[in-house]
Amino acid sequence: MQKKAASVSRIIATIINECRLFLKDIAGLSLLLLMPIVLTVIMALIQDAPFREYQNITFDVLWVDNDHGQLAKKLQEDFSQAKQFHLVTSVDDKVLDDAAVKALVQKGKYQIGIVIPNGLSAEVINSANQIANDIGSKIGAPGKLPQRESRPGNDIQVYFDPAAKQTFKLSIMNALEKFTTKSEAELTLSRLAKTMKSQDGNANDSVNIDLQNRLRAVGIREASPVSASIYGATNSVQHNVPAWAIFGLFFIIIPIAGNMIGEREDGSLTRLKLIPGSYFDILFGKLFFYVMVGVVQFYLMLQAGVYLLPHLGLPALYMGHAPISLFITAAVISLTATSYGVLIGTVFRTANQALPFGSISIVILSAIGGIWVPIQILPHALQQLAKVSPLHWALDIINDLFLRNGSFYGILPKLSLLLGFSAVFFIIAGIVEKRRKR
Amino acid sequence: MLQINNLHKTYKHALEPSLQGLSIQFSTGIIAGLLGPNGAGKTTTISIICGLVAPDNGDVVVLGDNVRSELDSIKRKVGVVPQSIALYPQLSVFENLQYVGKLYGLKGTELKDKIYHYLRIFGLDNNAKKAIKHFSGGMKRRANIIAALLHEPVLLILDEPTAGVDVQSRNMIMDFLKMYNGQGHSIIYTSHLLEEAQELCDEVAIIDNGKLVAHGNTEDLISSYHANNLEDLFLKITGTKVRD
Repeated sequence: MQKKAASVSRIIATIINECRLFLKDIAGLSLLLLMPIVLTVIMALIQDAPFREYQNITFDVLWVDNDHGQLAKKLQEDFSQAKQFHLVTSVDDKVLDDAAVKALVQKGKYQIGIVIPNGLSAEVINSANQIANDIGSKIGAPGKLPQRESRPGNDIQVYFDPAAKQTFKLSIMNALEKFTTKSEAELTLSRLAKTMKSQDGNANDSVNIDLQNRLRAVGIREASPVSASIYGATNSVQHNVPAWAIFGLFFIIIPIAGNMIGEREDGSLTRLKLIPGSYFDILFGKLFFYVMVGVVQFYLMLQAGVYLLPHLGLPALYMGHAPISLFITAAVISLTATSYGVLIGTVFRTANQALPFGSISIVILSAIGGIWVPIQILPHALQQLAKVSPLHWALDIINDLFLRNGSFYGILPKLSLLLGFSAVFFIIAGIVEKRRKR
Repeated sequence: MLQINNLHKTYKHALEPSLQGLSIQFSTGIIAGLLGPNGAGKTTTISIICGLVAPDNGDVVVLGDNVRSELDSIKRKVGVVPQSIALYPQLSVFENLQYVGKLYGLKGTELKDKIYHYLRIFGLDNNAKKAIKHFSGGMKRRANIIAALLHEPVLLILDEPTAGVDVQSRNMIMDFLKMYNGQGHSIIYTSHLLEEAQELCDEVAIIDNGKLVAHGNTEDLISSYHANNLEDLFLKITGTKVRD
């Protein structure tokens, strides 16, 4: 009993001592608390754009209409109505032509340029007439529309900035394809309606509307596997804030490793080892302190997501409905980061070795762990590699709690896995320390 | 107070052993000097005595306790002043001593009184709240000694406690060690300052290349080798060749 009381007293003394050391180091305090918040907010803002759907972003599109026909006009209307596109037909008071568009996009001043070729509408109308006539003749429609032989080679030219990403190109091409197909389909339907003109010469609009409605018979609707309020929260903030908060939390290894190496170098570790009683009490006190600092740091970063980001034009972070599970998770993530810091501080002899390795290893573990981009978009091999990163499991648990309505028992296996990482880090650190004593 | 029997130690990756069969005995209540040139094995011996380093072979018994099995008991009876300033530079001397005292199980007024008692003895009471990093070399050395005294050790081991300090600080440290020994405590002390060692030590043990080369009463040893003083004796025994 007396031994236990002495042990607790040593742990408390160590926690107080670590607090004193922490408060005397203003730079370290800023690093630990302020910088990760700044990092989380900035990364959430910067990384918001790639996570947004393209409908929410407006692109300037250089537009050259060499056709001036019905289809070109329809396409221009559709592009203008779509919120994500802003059509630019002149630059510096000069009406654009094919060459100007090519030059401006090549220089990277604009990302997209679209040139509608001369005769496009005529070609599409001719094609629609051919289809309408073919169908009309088979169903015995009374009318016959004028048609000629098709003239190939009237393609819409799309220019992309050479630096544009493939996914971006694909999205724009899909949008263009959608608008073109829609216009062609409408034109074909209207031509077909013309062939069905009644003998008195009135166009049968009901046929037209009916055909268009029938073409919309199969709809696609996004359904939510969880409650609507949670599902509504699936936005960039939900990925970025927890992800960068975990990343920032892991940087706690720098003060821990620095502290351990400093203690070795200035001899204070020698002093601690000369004192009777288990060194484990002192180590436990230190770990407890840093785990709690990590938890406070993590919550501050999440609170920045809840209260600060909405003032910067982003949605507020949704933190789920499991506060106790979240606290336990934060403590376990912090313990994992702390134990990694202990490992780095034990294995490396100097700060010059430990700090660069520690920082770069966190960047690597975060990259493969899905902190920078969701692992779903990574190649299969990298998705498998993510499993060796504790940051991946940490983020996965947070997603379980925030977005998948996860229960404590549901996240328990993943928490155990993080505790396993901690155990491995401590065991390796213990082995290295023991070998060093020899 | 101290029995070292056939102690062997070779560090990993070291080309030569640090200790090769070292055996020494010091009796209780004396100031004993553990002397030797650089690399002789003094710090290794002290590190083994206080449990910082494990020996490859041999036995060390401190105040009746074996270092292999009763290290905790030894740590309670022994105070060690390491060569390095083993204190947190960013904390004040009071905060440093308070933490060390608490780890030894001291608390409250008893601890505070003890800290100020030693701060007064070592002339640091007016700088109790000053960070160690702002201390002079001599002040750091004195603070370093206090940290080993708070639990009132029966045996005080000092590894070069006066290295790099001014004459005033050295005198203060020497006076304290004599007074502490006068109270019945034993002291083991290493130093390269042989004039200081001659003045202070009742007995000296000179080691070289990890072996004991001379041991006895300081004055008897000097006269038996027909040396003028301890430094002369030291050079006669260990030679004049520079050690790295």
